[in-house]
Amino acid sequence: MANLVVIKEQKDIARKTPIEDFPDPKIAVVLVNQQTGAANTPIVSVGDIVSIGQKIADSKQRVSAPVHSPISGKVLKIENVFNSCFGYETEAIFIENDGKKTKEKNLTPISESELAKTTNEVLLKRIHDAGIIGLGGAGFPTSVKLSLPADKKIATLIVNGAEGEPYDTADERLMIEKTKNLARGVRVVRQILGNPKVIIATKDSKVEAVPKLHEAFSQEPNTEVIAKHLTYQQGDASILQKAILDYETPPGKRSYEMGTIVQNVATINAIANAVFEGEPLISRVTTLNGDVPEPKNLLVKIGTPISDILKQNNVDLNDISSVVVGGVLMGQALQTINDPITKRTSSIIVFAKSKAKKGQPTTACIHCGRCITACPVRLHPIAIHNAVTKGDFEKAEKLWANDCIACGTCSYVCPSKITLAASVKMARK
Amino acid sequence: MSNESSNELVVNPAPHITSTMSKTRIMQYTFAALLVITIVTSILWISVSCPTDSQLDSYPTLSNVWQMPLGLILLFNALIAMGVAVGIDVLFNKVVSDSELNIWSSAVFGLIVALSYSLGVPAMAMGADPIPVANFTAPNAFLFVALIALIGQVVFKKVQGIGGRKLVNPAAAAKLLILLPMLGSMLLPSEHFASFEAGGLAMPRLAGPIAATEIIGSNGGGGFGDYLIGCFANPSSMEAGNLNSLMLFNKFHGWPGGASSLLVIIVGIALFALGYKYFKWKVTASYFVSIAIMSVLMSTIYADADLLTRLLFTLFIGSSIFLGFFMATDPATTPFSGTGQLIFGVGLGILTVLIQTYMNFFGGSILALIIMNLTVPFIDRIRIGKPFGRK
Repeated sequence: MANLVVIKEQKDIARKTPIEDFPDPKIAVVLVNQQTGAANTPIVSVGDIVSIGQKIADSKQRVSAPVHSPISGKVLKIENVFNSCFGYETEAIFIENDGKKTKEKNLTPISESELAKTTNEVLLKRIHDAGIIGLGGAGFPTSVKLSLPADKKIATLIVNGAEGEPYDTADERLMIEKTKNLARGVRVVRQILGNPKVIIATKDSKVEAVPKLHEAFSQEPNTEVIAKHLTYQQGDASILQKAILDYETPPGKRSYEMGTIVQNVATINAIANAVFEGEPLISRVTTLNGDVPEPKNLLVKIGTPISDILKQNNVDLNDISSVVVGGVLMGQALQTINDPITKRTSSIIVFAKSKAKKGQPTTACIHCGRCITACPVRLHPIAIHNAVTKGDFEKAEKLWANDCIACGTCSYVCPSKITLAASVKMARK
Repeated sequence: MSNESSNELVVNPAPHITSTMSKTRIMQYTFAALLVITIVTSILWISVSCPTDSQLDSYPTLSNVWQMPLGLILLFNALIAMGVAVGIDVLFNKVVSDSELNIWSSAVFGLIVALSYSLGVPAMAMGADPIPVANFTAPNAFLFVALIALIGQVVFKKVQGIGGRKLVNPAAAAKLLILLPMLGSMLLPSEHFASFEAGGLAMPRLAGPIAATEIIGSNGGGGFGDYLIGCFANPSSMEAGNLNSLMLFNKFHGWPGGASSLLVIIVGIALFALGYKYFKWKVTASYFVSIAIMSVLMSTIYADADLLTRLLFTLFIGSSIFLGFFMATDPATTPFSGTGQLIFGVGLGILTVLIQTYMNFFGGSILALIIMNLTVPFIDRIRIGKPFGRK
C-alpha cells in the first residue's frame, strides 16, 4: 500500500475542542429510514405525544433498525421529505418539542457485573432495539452485523478509530473523552463474538487519544492498541484490515468470512450506552468544521435541523457556498441546510463563498495515469469513466467498477478535475 | 424543505475537495523547466557564430544564410515556435466553440519544437557534404520551426485530439512529417554509408566495433569518437575538445534541448521531483536503462574496444537525452499504468538503439518514439495485477 495518497488534514482546532452538548431542537425532523436494509414504517400518528427514547418507527424485517424520538413532544406531521444524503425521498416524523424532557425507560440498563451472565441473544436484541447502525457512515444494522452464523469463528475485532476524513474529529474526541465507555462497549462486542483478539486501530497523529486508549485498554485481556501512520483511505474497513492484518478481503466477501469484524468507535460507544445506560440511539457526536467561526464537536440530537446548528454557531447563512455532511471526500453536499441530522451524520463541513478559491474547470484527460496509481483497490478509474461516458456499462463492470470503495481519491488527485468517482459510482450496481 | 440560506447551495458529487495539482500547474512546471534549458543553452551558445567565418568561406551552400550567434537563433526559434503554437491555440478557441484554450500546453509544445530542432553547423562540415547544413541555421531554421509548430499544433494536437486520445507525440510527428522530403538521407542506411562522392553521408557505422583509433567510416578520418567530436565541438574553436566533456556539458550541434546533458538531467530530475506522482519518470528511467543495456550488448556483439564512446553516444546525444526526459514522457501519448510506462520505456530504448545501429539514423529516437506511441493503446490493455482482494 505504498502508493496511498496522503491528504492534508484540517483538524487542528476541532480535534482539541471538547464535545459540546447542542440544545434540543424546537422541532425535530426524524427520518423514518436512516439505516441500510429494510424500510421502517412510522408507529406513531399525527397528534401523538411522544417521550424521549420512545420508538417511533420500526420494521418487522430482520435487517432493520428502529428509530426513536430524540425529544419529548407532539407529532406535528408525517410527510415525505427529500434527503440530500440519501438522494431520495423518505418519510419524516416532525416532532414539536414540549420542553418537558419526558423520558421513556423501556431499555433496562445492564450492569457491568451482569454482563458476563447476559446471553448473546439479549445483547443483540438490545443493540437492535436501541436502533444502532454503523455510525462510520455505512448505516448497516449493527445487531445483524454481529449476528454471525454458528460455525463462524471470529479471530479479530478491529475497533476502527482511524477516522480518515480530513475534516472529521468526532471519533477522535470520543476516543479522548469516552475512552472508558469505549472499553465497556468493546467488552460487549468481544463477548458477543466469542472473545476474539481486539485491536484498537488509530492514527499516530491523534496524539491526545493514543495515550488515553493505551491507558483504558491496558488491563483488557488480549487487546492491543495500534497507533500507526494511516492514510485517509485506510479508514475504509477493508483497507484498514490490510494495514493491520496484512490480508485483502476478496470483493463480495464479508469481513467476518475472513474471521474479522471491524466496528467503528462511535458505534462501540453507542453499544455501551445502549447496554449499560439503556439509551437508544437518539443523539450522536458530529464535527462542525470548515469555514465556520469555531470548528467543534457537538453532541446533537438526531432530527436536529442542520440550519439550527449553523445559526447557533454564527455561520453566515448568506455566505454559504456548500454544506457537506459525512466527510468532504465521501460525504454528500446538501441541497438545503434544513436537512436534519441523521444517525449517519458524522460531520457538517461548511464551505463559504467568501473563502472559495478559484475553482479549476474540468478539462480533457491528460492521461497522466495518476488516478490509477492512486486507487487503493487498484482499479483503472479513467478507463471506467471512459466506458461510462460511452454508456458501455458492461465494459465498466468488466473493469471491476463494483470493487470501488467510493473513497473519491481518483477525483481528488485528477489534475484535469474529472469527476471520476461519480462515474465509477454510476457504473456500480 | 425550503432553504433558509438566501443563496442556492452548490451541490457537487463527492469528493468535495481536490488536490492542488492541476493540468495548468503541470504545464507551468514543464514550461519553467524547458525555459531554463532554453535560456541556459542560449547563454552557452551565444558566443558561437553560426555559421563561423571559415564555414561561410568554405561552404558554398551557406552563402545565403544569416550569420548570427547560435544562442540567439535558439531564442528566436523558441519565440517563433511558441508564438505560432499559442496563436493557433487562441485562434481555434475563438473559431471552434468547444476547443479548450491551453495556453501553457501550447507554450510547452512550442518550446519542445524549438528545443528538438537541430541547430549549429557541425565543426566537421566540409564543402562537399550533402548534408543540408543551411537548415541548421537562420533563416531556414526559423522557417522549419514555424512550419513544425504549425503542423504540430493544427494536425497533431488539435485535429488528432478530436478523436479523444492523441496517438503520436505532436512535436515528434510534425518534425518527421516536415523532414519527410529528406527521408532518403535520414532513414536509408545505404545513404548513410555511401561516400560523399556517391552522394551519401559517409557516416561511421554503429553496427561494427568501435575503437578510438580505428577508422570505421570515411568521415572525419578517425574513430567514432573523432566523428562525434567533429559533430559536436565548438566550430569556432581551434581545439577539437574532449569527447566526455562535449557529450556531458555542451554540444554545439544537434538538438538544443540536449546540448548540455548535465543540464537536462538536473532540470529533468528537478521537474520530476516537483510532481513525481504526475510525471511519467518511469518511462525516462526504463528508457535510459534499456539504452545502456542495449549499448553494452551491442558493444559485446561487435567486440568494441571502446564501450564508453558507444555509451556516451547512445545516452547523451541530444535527441536521446532531451527526448528521454521531455518528449517520451508526454502524458497523452504514453501508457497510463506504471507497468505500462516501464514497458514503453524499455521498448523505446531498444528500438532507439536498433535504429541507430542498423539504420544509422543517429537521431532515431524520434522515429522510435512514434512507433512506440502507436503501441500505447495495446500496452494500456495489459493489466498487470488484479484489483484489491482478487486473485
